Amino acid sequence: MIRLENVTKSYSEEVIALRDASFEVAKGEFVFLVGPSGSGKSTLLRLLNRQERPELGAVWVAGRNIVDMPANRVPMLRRNIGNVFQDYKLLLNKTVFENVAFALEVIGRPKHVITQQVPAVLELVGLAGKEDRFPDQLSGGEQQRVSVARAFVNRPLILIADEPTGNLDPATGEGIMRLLDRINATGTTVVMATHDQRIVDSMRKRVIQLDRGTIVRDQARGVYQ
Amino acid sequence: MISRIAYVLRETAASFQRNLTLTVAAVITAAVSLLIFGLTLIIQHGFDNLLAQWEGGVEMIVHVNAGAGDAQRAVIEEALVQQEGITIDSWRYCDVTCSLADADRLLAGDPTTRELLTAENITTQYKVVPMDATQVDILRGLRDRYLGLPNVNTVQLAEEQLDLISELQGFVSTYTTGLWIALMAAASLLIWNTIRTAMFARRREIEVMKLVGATDWFIRLPFMLEGLLHGLIGGVLASGALWFINDRWTAGVQGFPDNSGMTALVVVDGYQWQVALIILVFGSIVGTVGSGTAASRFLDV
Repeated sequence: MIRLENVTKSYSEEVIALRDASFEVAKGEFVFLVGPSGSGKSTLLRLLNRQERPELGAVWVAGRNIVDMPANRVPMLRRNIGNVFQDYKLLLNKTVFENVAFALEVIGRPKHVITQQVPAVLELVGLAGKEDRFPDQLSGGEQQRVSVARAFVNRPLILIADEPTGNLDPATGEGIMRLLDRINATGTTVVMATHDQRIVDSMRKRVIQLDRGTIVRDQARGVYQ
Repeated sequence: MISRIAYVLRETAASFQRNLTLTVAAVITAAVSLLIFGLTLIIQHGFDNLLAQWEGGVEMIVHVNAGAGDAQRAVIEEALVQQEGITIDSWRYCDVTCSLADADRLLAGDPTTRELLTAENITTQYKVVPMDATQVDILRGLRDRYLGLPNVNTVQLAEEQLDLISELQGFVSTYTTGLWIALMAAASLLIWNTIRTAMFARRREIEVMKLVGATDWFIRLPFMLEGLLHGLIGGVLASGALWFINDRWTAGVQGFPDNSGMTALVVVDGYQWQVALIILVFGSIVGTVGSGTAASRFLDV
């Protein structure tokens, strides 16, 4: 599903975010990216949805090298990749339903599809009955659930999550992880960057560890350290 | 498709409300510049009316008494033919129909006087193109000679009005053109800034849209539509103001003295509707270009 071949990405001569990174992620896998701040986790995630392009190497997503993909094809790529962020990135002037529906609306899904898929995904993330609330009327955990619902509503092949539990208390974070695990169980590949040792240790999924842009460990059913 | 159209319209309407003061400023500036653009076209057309009888290098007009037949005009034509190739380059006869058409344009602002002119009482004209228009003395000599011919009513020389009007036309069109170009640039920049502000206000939405796979065109479209509406609404306001000013001017000109020359400086032949259409199209293009440029430039907010 995802393959990086000798990828190097730098922001300047001094700031090298990734050095010669290579790994492969199979369809339906759940992978943690761990490492200290500045180790290149977020850059790696941004390479997967073509927010960034590497100087060297190839990034294969769903069978296509996306490094030289024409700009007009990038939206199609992104429709197959859901994104979950630490700060949720919800639209404060839209309700829960509208936030999730927005992801379908802007890619031209018809109304009957939206009215069918949005309630279903809100049910999945445990927000049924809260469709009409605005983000500031929800807890942090609930807001992150909306963010997950928005990322998953289009049934993407891949879901990338950048510190999704970073702003949440441990109990709420566990709830989000159970949700991501459930989404992974449907066949969606999940790649998640995190600092949360407790979560990584408890889930025992594959762990790729980065240090100053270099992959220093790639361990199946791994732990944080 | 319907959901996309509904989305674009809804977002455009929301953006209008969100940036109301900037929108109003952009629309007013567009309206004022388009009004001056329209006035330039109308004034130009008025001058064209005034100079209609002198089109094609005509420097002298010999007015023939109404009712003069072919035999009576033959004397005049013989005199003209005698000068062909010497002082006169060419000449043509403007018959009753042609002279009435000239009167329609020259007396556009004075329908009362125009109504007095009929096929029976209007003077017909010989329009004369000289060999050298700068030889004013020769033209004056010709005028004096033709005035003595039977059935010649009057002889007009272009130098008496043409030079002054041409100079005035050049002056007015230069300054009004400069003014509308400057104002149009200001309107376009204001629309550009309005769209930039709108995009900045919606930067999080745009970021989310891009991440979930919206195309750049889909993101741009509401902003471009917003700019188009700025220009279009400005055009509608300018067209209304132009109609009002033209109507008041046309009514006012009727009170001017007949010999003021102002009676031709009006537009009543439907040309103002063409100008209104030009203004609407031009306003829409300027608005779309201004907003489209901003929408492309600031897509990565």
